[in-house]
Amino acid sequence: MINRIIALLIRYKNISFGSFPRLLSIFYWPTVQILFWGYFTNFFMSNESFGIWSALNIILSAVVLWDVLFRGQLGLTMSFFEELWSRNLPNLFITPLKDIEMVYGLILISLIRTLIGITPAIFFANYFFDFHLFELGLYLIFLFLNLIIFGWSIGFIVSGLVLRYGQAFEELAWAIIFIILPFSCVYYPLDSLPTLVQGIALFLPTVHIFETMRLILIENKIILNNVFIIIFLNLFYLILSILFFLKMISIARKRGLLFNQGE
Amino acid sequence: MPKTSIRTKNLSKTYGNKTVVSNVSINLPYGGFFGVLGKNGAGKTTFLAMLMGLITPSEGEIFIFDKSLKFHKYEILKNINFQSPYVDLPKKITVMQNLIFYARLYDVVDTKKKILKLSEDLFIKDLLNNIYGTLSSGQKTRVNLCKALLNDPKLLLLDEPTASLDVSTSEFIRKYIKKFQKKNNSTILITSHNLEEIEKLCSHIILLEKGKIKFDGKKNELFKQSKSSSLKDIFLKDDK
Repeated sequence: MINRIIALLIRYKNISFGSFPRLLSIFYWPTVQILFWGYFTNFFMSNESFGIWSALNIILSAVVLWDVLFRGQLGLTMSFFEELWSRNLPNLFITPLKDIEMVYGLILISLIRTLIGITPAIFFANYFFDFHLFELGLYLIFLFLNLIIFGWSIGFIVSGLVLRYGQAFEELAWAIIFIILPFSCVYYPLDSLPTLVQGIALFLPTVHIFETMRLILIENKIILNNVFIIIFLNLFYLILSILFFLKMISIARKRGLLFNQGE
Repeated sequence: MPKTSIRTKNLSKTYGNKTVVSNVSINLPYGGFFGVLGKNGAGKTTFLAMLMGLITPSEGEIFIFDKSLKFHKYEILKNINFQSPYVDLPKKITVMQNLIFYARLYDVVDTKKKILKLSEDLFIKDLLNNIYGTLSSGQKTRVNLCKALLNDPKLLLLDEPTASLDVSTSEFIRKYIKKFQKKNNSTILITSHNLEEIEKLCSHIILLEKGKIKFDGKKNELFKQSKSSSLKDIFLKDDK
């Protein structure tokens, strides 16, 4: 009996520690949780002037908008993974389908999946918690679009990595969003982070997006400079990620990887 | 009509220090059945994948219908198709949804009519609304063949077309492919471990050994050259 239990233990150890992304996810989660809730509590403790309803409104707006990013990224990667899991890539890549057409297809399906996923959540929040996401007005469309675009950028990077390095990187599809969560300042402002981390976080469009959201909800104003930074960073990352994804397809062709993917 | 269906010039594929296909030059005329034979690891699948643009060659050139695959890839791919038991279709959607998807990718005109005609011919009409993942391997093979014929390919590449099928289904598939070739004057390139199958269908054989061409010519020439009466004999002799 002991031998069989040891055999299982070794097997699960090999699976859990056998790849870098899996290893990362094991020790990353507890750290992320501590950091995230620490910054979150600090912010609300130091802003006792917020009424409970305005605090709730800020939190719920952040939850819904963060989910836009998550759904956008997941909608793209999961659609691509379906092709991998069903061993369908050779069939797909011998058709006249161009690589860039695949990029467009993935973007569109992600947009549709996100809209379908997020709409009921907004209405439920509105109904049960008197939550007014639409107070963001037309800026809501701007924030929504920019979050989903950043979701696509992450989605293309993850899909490219999985195509190139195999299934071990699939874990990233679920984890990567939460890796950037504490640095994205979703539920607390940028100045809650240590100075050094702030410098790095500024390169994330999510930081500027959520800062803008809070500014609209609390002070009902917008900083135009932030809007330009969001657009610039997002376009930069989107172009870069698409080029990366296309490069990974090209490498997969060189290494014969399109034939060897599957469940 | 193009003069050649497939022409390769010094085609090679190397992964690191390992050469999988080495200096393969072939010149196949337009129309007919051609068999690619070789033991496991001979480079058959890699060779086929390079012809479809799935694997980029390390060296050499590929011409399909007299046009360079490198420069006319998407134009050529409109007229090619492929079937393999090792390549599947998405499992969670119906057969019909899968076929419509591929018909669109190949710009098939009158999609539904085409699918219905092929599904009748291949006896899969009753399966059209079934989820693909629930089909048996014999049913999947017929659905995959239907997918492979949607665009009436001028070049059809078949990797082990009857692997894991029972005798009667295998015979049905062979007959159907023969009928299709005759009707469309297509070029059909087959790799198979079923030597009898290759013997029945192909008049031209390409024999690969460790990535190199060992023989390229008429089947009868191969028999004459190796003083054998069947492909099976040739392979068994080789093993001795």
